[in-house]
Amino acid sequence: MSLENLIEADVLVIGGGLAGCFASVKAKEQGADVVLVDKGYVSKTGGTPYAGDTMVFNPEWGHDLDAWMEQVSVLGEYVNNRQWNEIVFKESYDRFKDLESYGVKFLEENDEVVRLPHPLSTLDMPDKDKFPPIVSQVVHWLPGWGEAIRKHVEKSGVKLMERVVICELIKKEEKIVGAVGFPVDKEELIVFKTKSVVICAGGGGFRPPGYPTHELTADGVALAYRVGAEVTGKEFVSPMTVGSLEPHPGWESMYEHFSSGHSAALPGAAKNVPFLGRRINAEGEEVPHRGMSWHGWIDVHHEIHAGRGPLTMDGPGGRKISINGPGAGGSMHGHATAGIFSADTDGNVGVPGLYAAGDSLGVQFVGSTYSGFGFATSYASVSGARAGCAAAEFARKCGDGSLDRDRVEDLKKSIKGPLERKGGFSPRWVTEILRSYMVPYFVMYIKHEDRLKAALTNVGFIRDHLVPKITASDAHELRLAHETRSMVLNAEMKLRASMFRKESRGNHYREDYPKRDDPEWLAWVLLKNENGSMNVYKKSMPEEWWPDLNKPYDERYPLKFPESA
Amino acid sequence: MAIEKIDHDLCTGCEQCVLSCPMDVIRMDEEINKAVIKYVEDCMYCGFCVDCPEKAITILPGPTQSVTLGWG
Repeated sequence: MSLENLIEADVLVIGGGLAGCFASVKAKEQGADVVLVDKGYVSKTGGTPYAGDTMVFNPEWGHDLDAWMEQVSVLGEYVNNRQWNEIVFKESYDRFKDLESYGVKFLEENDEVVRLPHPLSTLDMPDKDKFPPIVSQVVHWLPGWGEAIRKHVEKSGVKLMERVVICELIKKEEKIVGAVGFPVDKEELIVFKTKSVVICAGGGGFRPPGYPTHELTADGVALAYRVGAEVTGKEFVSPMTVGSLEPHPGWESMYEHFSSGHSAALPGAAKNVPFLGRRINAEGEEVPHRGMSWHGWIDVHHEIHAGRGPLTMDGPGGRKISINGPGAGGSMHGHATAGIFSADTDGNVGVPGLYAAGDSLGVQFVGSTYSGFGFATSYASVSGARAGCAAAEFARKCGDGSLDRDRVEDLKKSIKGPLERKGGFSPRWVTEILRSYMVPYFVMYIKHEDRLKAALTNVGFIRDHLVPKITASDAHELRLAHETRSMVLNAEMKLRASMFRKESRGNHYREDYPKRDDPEWLAWVLLKNENGSMNVYKKSMPEEWWPDLNKPYDERYPLKFPESA
Repeated sequence: MAIEKIDHDLCTGCEQCVLSCPMDVIRMDEEINKAVIKYVEDCMYCGFCVDCPEKAITILPGPTQSVTLGWG
């Protein structure tokens, strides 16, 4: 069979952040022929520029596995995946040594890598004595770490294809056999014929209208969902500030340290300066950080709801930062929690030949609240390496497949659809309308069945009536069109999962169900495409991971939701 | 708030800004071999392009947001 622009490889890795780099390098080390595709440029892509550190667990540094596990379970409120917690902690040191061997430089003092404590462990918080000690530590990579990894990927013999968007996976007889995409600057399609695919395309989140989103468009999750994979964790959020001063994506409080595409996420800690500043409401009262900073955003939104917003926070250089004015809110997504569900420990997502890693992989690593600095990067490294090895092994064992020409032609036609429409809606406008329904604090953070249903009605209209009519004038807009389509799907996932979890837990707060409900919701919410509609169901946690149900709730969960504070 | 200008007296056409822009805002003008701002409405003010080795790129300070009006 001959196809124009056909790329053949054993393993296709989609996304070149930390997870994708590890997946492709490890697959290559296993002898596979690997192609790594990224819609941006590896080292500047996705979340890479914003990552400043990575968690390393090492018993030789005095680390105690049980204490680390307890930190995640208590802060993640017992819906974290303890099997993966143990794997990532135990393998984090090897991946750290890999990074050193790839040429990544870390902050050192007296020839020793500097290990920094979790910033919350240095804060004086209310109820601090009720929490287990926050014990996890991070090491800092120095500027240029992304470029070092990029060089290693190139040197390892991985074929790099950048500024290329993947829009669809090709499935044949229940197995993934390839993908279709296009360059962001050329209106021509590329077909990939591969034996296995690893999705490392990050997660999906929402920002207010006017704040572009590039790394949180849920492309990878959408690809997998459409070919039948389950998705989990969508009710949880990992908020980041999007402020009034600098509407860059979500990192205002840390911006100075990110502005050149390299970072040190804990510069305050490195310089012994408080990293998390005091938060003051409009009446001049302090809103203390409680439990976990990401959880504390629910406090912020209660202040805003009470009419005491916006809040200000002390920022770097003595600046006052305005955080989350009414109606604004930056959201990542369930960082290191939400994504394509895998029941395995090698990143296989239940579809033969399809793997995921990093923020695309939904194994609920942290559970309902992101509990540790540097966790997402360690999780990306470890899961990327595992998925890369597994995808290479799958490719080695499976025979040469073939593509179904008719199926490929159908996919090509639908991908190019927006370019061929004479009239319709611009992807930018559809994205803004979508965000205006998703981003308000009374939908994203303080949830209620009535409001979630109202948002879902509107998102359903966008899905059925706007998405099929999105137009694109060139390849650049065609990329936006496909991102918008993924974001609409992600919105539906977030709303349905949020409606389904009829309790509050971690960062998922329901005004109509303001308490935890054990053991009913010691469970993961799963979403699956069944004949075109989104099915929602749950999978209970193993009982050995449950908290002690003999303890009263107040002791089981040290963090109080605002109503019961 | 967005990328404001690429100074073509300074730009050497190295393409670093084109590659570093996550939003594909900047493209090469092949005729003059210089980088040009093509999709300013998608700029997310990340500042990655300001790493230009020739310091040819400036970003507008101050909070402004471009909002797409109507459906086009």
